[in-house]
Amino acid sequence: MADSSRRADTVTLTIDGHEVNVPKGTSLLHAAETLGIEVPHYCYHPGLSAPAQCRICLVEVEGAPKLQPSCVTMAQDGQVVHTESPSAKRMRQGVLEFYLVNHPLDCPICDMSGECKLQDYVFDEGREQGRAREPKRVFGRDDFGGDVLYYGDRCVMCTRCVRFMDEVAHDARLTVVERGDRAVIDTFFESGLDDASFAGNVVDICPVGALVSKDFLHKARAWDLDHTPSICPNCSQGCNIDLHARDNLVQRLKPRENQEVNGHWMCDYGRANYEWINRAGRIESPGVGRSGKRRAADWQTALGALLDRLRESEGAGVRIVGSPLASNEALGTLHRLGRAVGTVTESVFRCRRTEDEDPLPGFPLLVRRRDLAPNVDGAGILGFERAGSDDATGGLGAAASHDGILVVLGDQLGDQPEDFGADASLYVYLGTFDSPAARNADFVLPVTTFAEEDGTFVNAQGRVQRFEQGLQAPGSARPAWLVLGALLAALEGGNPPGSAADAFAALAAEYAAFAGLSHDAIGTAGAVPEPAHA
Amino acid sequence: MAISVKVMRRPEAGRTSYMRATLKGMSLTFKHLLRVKKVTLEYPEDQPDLHPRWRGTHRMEVHADGRPKCVACGLCPTVCPANCIRLVGGEDDQGNRYPIVYEIDEFRCIFCGMCQEVCPVEAIHVGQHFENAEYSRNRFVYDLDRLMEQDHPTTLLWDPSDPRSE
Repeated sequence: MADSSRRADTVTLTIDGHEVNVPKGTSLLHAAETLGIEVPHYCYHPGLSAPAQCRICLVEVEGAPKLQPSCVTMAQDGQVVHTESPSAKRMRQGVLEFYLVNHPLDCPICDMSGECKLQDYVFDEGREQGRAREPKRVFGRDDFGGDVLYYGDRCVMCTRCVRFMDEVAHDARLTVVERGDRAVIDTFFESGLDDASFAGNVVDICPVGALVSKDFLHKARAWDLDHTPSICPNCSQGCNIDLHARDNLVQRLKPRENQEVNGHWMCDYGRANYEWINRAGRIESPGVGRSGKRRAADWQTALGALLDRLRESEGAGVRIVGSPLASNEALGTLHRLGRAVGTVTESVFRCRRTEDEDPLPGFPLLVRRRDLAPNVDGAGILGFERAGSDDATGGLGAAASHDGILVVLGDQLGDQPEDFGADASLYVYLGTFDSPAARNADFVLPVTTFAEEDGTFVNAQGRVQRFEQGLQAPGSARPAWLVLGALLAALEGGNPPGSAADAFAALAAEYAAFAGLSHDAIGTAGAVPEPAHA
Repeated sequence: MAISVKVMRRPEAGRTSYMRATLKGMSLTFKHLLRVKKVTLEYPEDQPDLHPRWRGTHRMEVHADGRPKCVACGLCPTVCPANCIRLVGGEDDQGNRYPIVYEIDEFRCIFCGMCQEVCPVEAIHVGQHFENAEYSRNRFVYDLDRLMEQDHPTTLLWDPSDPRSE
């Protein structure tokens, strides 16, 4: 420890009796965090500037004349800091009491209840009974536009939202008006946060229930939600998110910190588009035979029959229609199966694209991309080509009248006619929803969405990122890599993949772009392949 | 060791009178006939007095205007050890949070009273009530209207004059 403290770029200090070595320029709050000590804070947020105005992170620094705000006080060599000393605790209790003077304490009807920092800190350290006798001031609520609703009574005036719009969105639409106990956050114009494409983040960073999402309002309690680390499926940026699910339904998406991709943020477009994951009416069991003669079958029967057909037609031309919503595991295993059966003459995907991108100015890495699907780059690596127009229609003329083996994975073929694949010698449709264009399919196999399986996507930066299973699949739907991997193993010998990690390992062995990667190596933060793919 | 045998001498027939024992028995019988101390409760004509802490089927308190007092905070389904409460919250036309769906499965309920204890607005109560017979099983899932219709007295889980005594 003595050696490292002499290095110019680090300092050693003592916090609550524990010595810690941190880089120069680290705040006391961060230094305490590395020791696992949480100093309460409201106005400080790691993605924003620190105005040191909430006054709840004050700590005692030996030698300093009074308590210091730990969010802006930089660690210095030899400092001795006490976060739990009587003076620091007394001060925190006092600050919390002031916060509660006008706070309505409406936790039972507040959406933030259960994940509220005011609730947590008061429960930990606050007074049991308030001493304020005066009536509380009442503001009611204000519609800020967009998805954001403001309850002025609950606000602790940390101004995180004001600073986010100013510093990160570079679109200062919020401000503090009035002073003292009449101070509220307000918008400048009537339009408020309408059309602001990143305003949903102010709901995430609000430490109390002052800013809440209209979409999520009263929908679920924080403690009822199961959190699953996942990847936003709504554009090829691949923001790291948590799926918050209750009763096997996704209730909301929240950004998960990843400084290489999305920081602490995500866009409103991605945040709002989750209902399609919950859509009912899925295909629940495999179907065998063309429409009219189709009957439901169990997996063993369906795959057995499909295997016989594949063996019969070995060497035929194979056309594959994939989807940029499918995982690398699914697309890669599909392509390998196609090559194992015959000659892949065409493998395409169709993707909805917008006219332009939508960047977040204060965090340039985060851009809402043109491609509105998560795995466009992964599909490219795995040998799929873009087809069709920017609204994901057309481009399947050759596939529609193909006379060899035709496999569709994940594309709902909404624009295709009913005679799609009528000439195909074997037409396999793996999907989540039945489609008129699947009428001629010899096999309709139910597969899972990204939320119901483990897997990986490759985002627009070429970063391979993992997502985990958050929901139970409906009926007997199975991950596509499991279905296709079983067929491939039956044709080529070897063991079928038992997990998405196995399926990915097979791809890593075959595709140079994934060489050296595994699910373990990708972890929760994702990984960029070395060397980067062309 | 030898086994000791006690020989019981039975009363000899024709030489013993049972009159004394009969009179003794009859006197007890007639004593009870005259002394009016009823133990049997003539239910259902007579209703039993339930203890103040008797925990029976639920009841939802209502505001004067007929709205349920429940604010759909979700604490009762969270605390319920039998997982018998289903709650879906929403917002009414006046902007108040209220339960769109509030159902209690009285078959699953173990009548622990924790829903009443945890309720921050004193809306859901267990009641002093035990006559629950129905003609079908599904009638035992009480929905919000049913819970609001109940008019039996609610349980006193603690002394209202000393709420911290519990």
